[in-house]
Amino acid sequence: MIAFRGFRKQFGTHVAVADLTLEIGRGETLALLGPNGSGKTTSLKAAAGLITPTAGEVLLGEPGRSAHAPSARQAVSYLPQRVTFPDTLTGRDVIEFYRRLRGSPASRTDEVLRVASLNGAAGRAVGTYSGGMTQRLGLAVAVLPNAPVFLLDEPTAALDPDGLAAFYSTVERHAAEGRTVLFTSHQLGDVERLADRFAVLVAGRLVALLTQRELHDSLAQRGLMRVRAAGHLEDAVGRLRSIAPDSHLEADEIVVPGPPSLRPAALEALRDAGVEIRGLTAEEGRLDRFYRELVGDSA
Amino acid sequence: MTAVSTIHAIALCARQELVLAYRSRWTQTFAVAFAVLALAVAVSGYVLSGGSGVQDFSRTAASLVQLVILLVPLTALLLGVLTLASDRGNAELLFSQPVSRAAILLGRVLGLYQALISAQAIGFGAAGLVIYSQAGEDGVTGFLVVIAAAFVLTGVCLGLAAVIAAGNIGRRRSRALAVALVVWLVLVVLADLAALGAASLLRSGAASRLLITAAIVNPVGAVRTAALLLIDGTAAFGSASLALLRFSGGPLRAGLLLAASLVLWLVLPFWAASRRLSRADI
Repeated sequence: MIAFRGFRKQFGTHVAVADLTLEIGRGETLALLGPNGSGKTTSLKAAAGLITPTAGEVLLGEPGRSAHAPSARQAVSYLPQRVTFPDTLTGRDVIEFYRRLRGSPASRTDEVLRVASLNGAAGRAVGTYSGGMTQRLGLAVAVLPNAPVFLLDEPTAALDPDGLAAFYSTVERHAAEGRTVLFTSHQLGDVERLADRFAVLVAGRLVALLTQRELHDSLAQRGLMRVRAAGHLEDAVGRLRSIAPDSHLEADEIVVPGPPSLRPAALEALRDAGVEIRGLTAEEGRLDRFYRELVGDSA
Repeated sequence: MTAVSTIHAIALCARQELVLAYRSRWTQTFAVAFAVLALAVAVSGYVLSGGSGVQDFSRTAASLVQLVILLVPLTALLLGVLTLASDRGNAELLFSQPVSRAAILLGRVLGLYQALISAQAIGFGAAGLVIYSQAGEDGVTGFLVVIAAAFVLTGVCLGLAAVIAAGNIGRRRSRALAVALVVWLVLVVLADLAALGAASLLRSGAASRLLITAAIVNPVGAVRTAALLLIDGTAAFGSASLALLRFSGGPLRAGLLLAASLVLWLVLPFWAASRRLSRADI
């Protein structure tokens, strides 16, 4: 549905995105992560036809057509990072304009205004809206055309908890209907909840591309168990290394890195080594730490 | 999901821009200011010549040409740039729609054009009603010519504003406004001064050719000359306009030359703006 093929974008001498090759299939939700200035927005804008690649191409739909062609954008709905509307238009004016521009039926206006839940403010001038209300209105515009491809640039940045809930349910419904969603976010909660896959960009380069399953495995690998124990701890750690090679001793605690599935066998090995177990805690791998590990010093 | 036709998209964008312009205090202020100034021109001419009341249409028309030449390019350039150089978040959403950038630009320019000429029509209309009630309908054709000249000049300057706005994407709007002011200053003041200054240094033939070129090439000069030609106001002609009249061999040929220049000025800036916009990263 969306294909970046050797996509490169350069602004003067600054390379915003370097040779990005990435395909997002029908019905897939992919989160694009990375520190500020890593090329996330540039990539999304290229898919929305707003930016011309310096090299390579960005294709939309099946068969793929250049995202720069207006006809290809019929398949796309894009929500910019900081969406704005003319101050003197009302929320309803905005929806009506975009509804007509996309050729959507008249009944869609009230449907998407419900999605935006503007608390009766649809008839008020947009200039009086808060940042969150404007973002909700932008989301309403994005869901208007029922387009097969959804491009969302930091969609949850300005949303309150109610707006966030509305956003999650909207994206989940769209994904369940087989639409393709590509979004950027700094909220790792969005990624865990919504994404089937996630890609990490650092300084314009793709440094990681993982499925949700691979992410869980990676996080599991990054979990650890701390066992407070008494006895010949150094001998016990030595025996433990045949099961968990990175096990080590920290004061009176034995630290056992690895997935939860490893832990029963590790405890059994400690008991066999004659160690008295006085307490234990388990820490699961955290997405924020994993993310920092991937982006390194750029975060 | 249905694709809308390009014509429909242009009409939608035009309608949207018209609504925005009508709600804009700038357009409303412009309509009121234009009416007040047009009336002031009608009254002041008579008062200054020792009379009292209001000038008739023919005298008012010749004076109004100067007002149009000064005010219309300024407002069309500034309001055009203010409108067409959108906020980034608005432009990103609008240009990601399945409509060509040229169609969106054309729609917006047409909507704004309609709003500005409506504001001018209100201004001229108010002045016209007062003049008609006080001085009768004598010379009304000249008055209509001035209105037409204002409409043409509005179109030309909106095209130039579109070029400036298309080159300003991703930059501050204040920069585009500054460029618009410079363009206005060049078209309305500096171009004529430069042509006259250069002509004074040249021999008669070359000076005439330079002045003729200046009268045709500068759209503001072309509108002024054409308007004065049509309302038979050659007495108010400057040296460039007189040189054009001599060179072309009569008012008809001079008029055709000026019309050709203005048609190009109406088409070329929009073409350049849509070309610039279609290549821009938004």
